[in-house]
Amino acid sequence: MIHRTLHAVFAVAVSAGLFLAFAPAAPAATPEELVKARQQHMKKFGGGMQTIGKFLKGEGGTVEDVQKAAAQIDEAAKGDFTALFPPGTAAPVAESAAKPELWQNLPKAQQQWVDVKPAADKLVTAAMTGEKAQIAQAQQAAGKACAACHEDFRIKKN
Amino acid sequence: MRAAVLLLLGLLTPVAARAGDPASPDPVRRGEYVFDAAGCLGCHTNEKGGGAPLAGGRPLKTPFGTFYSPNITPDPVHGIGRWTDADFARALRSGHGREGEPLFPAFPYTSYTRMSDRDVADLKAYLSSRPASPAANRPHDLSAPFGWRFLLPVWQTLYLEEGPLKDDPARPAEWNRGRYLVEALGHCGECHSPRGWMGGVDSARALAGNPQGPEGDKVPNLRPGPKGLADWSQGDVEAALEMGMLPDGDFVGGSMAEVVRNSTSKLTPADRRAIAVYLKSLPSVP
Repeated sequence: MIHRTLHAVFAVAVSAGLFLAFAPAAPAATPEELVKARQQHMKKFGGGMQTIGKFLKGEGGTVEDVQKAAAQIDEAAKGDFTALFPPGTAAPVAESAAKPELWQNLPKAQQQWVDVKPAADKLVTAAMTGEKAQIAQAQQAAGKACAACHEDFRIKKN
Repeated sequence: MRAAVLLLLGLLTPVAARAGDPASPDPVRRGEYVFDAAGCLGCHTNEKGGGAPLAGGRPLKTPFGTFYSPNITPDPVHGIGRWTDADFARALRSGHGREGEPLFPAFPYTSYTRMSDRDVADLKAYLSSRPASPAANRPHDLSAPFGWRFLLPVWQTLYLEEGPLKDDPARPAEWNRGRYLVEALGHCGECHSPRGWMGGVDSARALAGNPQGPEGDKVPNLRPGPKGLADWSQGDVEAALEMGMLPDGDFVGGSMAEVVRNSTSKLTPADRRAIAVYLKSLPSVP
């Protein structure tokens, strides 16, 4: 009996694997979906930065909150540039805030994106110390990394 | 051996602080702080075009046409190397060039006129200490009648109120410092205020935002009302000036990112606080 059950489980598992392997690829995301996904991704940075900012301004939060926020930023910084900025997602598509110039200067924009990761790593290290001065310095440096791309390639929000 | 001695000398020589210092007795170092607070570098450097610092040539697109900033390095031919301190003060205070010609208000003398005599003199001392660049100036590309220089005296009569800005004795020193930084050096109102058809700032709505700012950007309202900084704490204003962070954790982009990079991030924390105090004290404008 046990033998037969195992067989059945195995068969189900194999067919599920086959199904996943040969399932038709998901339909390509629309530009709207891609822009939305990018905006959601960027909000992970913003949310983390906001938490750290509040802590530094004395407006609430703990060192643990800062550490979680720094980890969230670090995770977001691992995002794949090419996947986040696919062609066809420049403004004004789907309220995109990315200037078309970004795609005309891809190596520069990509480097700006790559520069965020080491800054995020330092923010994680600073958050571990719990020292306000170190966190402030690391946040400022990380902010600079964000602002570099925003200055060149993002449309003004207001 | 000689190299070792030189190395030792290098280690013993105190490293000169690079940043400007508002409390320095040295006019050049103090002038550098004024220079940063006044944000001169951005407009007078064609960074994207690979121009030398302060050698001008940066295009400034406005509804009136494109201005090209002039060379303000100490080059005697193309820069301001031959300008006397009085020539320099007159440009900032009354908007006139070395030959007495009225200057276009793309150069924000309507704000710089409010600068103190000492700040003007120290700024000149700092600029004179910079490397000269022989880059020639490029003429502006303006549409009529805005390019007609002979109309400028009329404009100046209407819109230029010569300074310097006097402290309000009824207000605390911090508020007065904040007002000076916002209204004189920072020239915040030049972008953050709406302008009339002749290009003069609408003073009743000063700092209340500009739907048609430089480079076609919408520039936000800095007054404390619901469409402005109502939800911003004083710390939010300071953080925005220090590193460009907005209350939601986002970071400013476009021309304000440049202002933060070149100017407000270099201010002392006390000066950023003073700016926040002043902005929060303004009456709100919808």
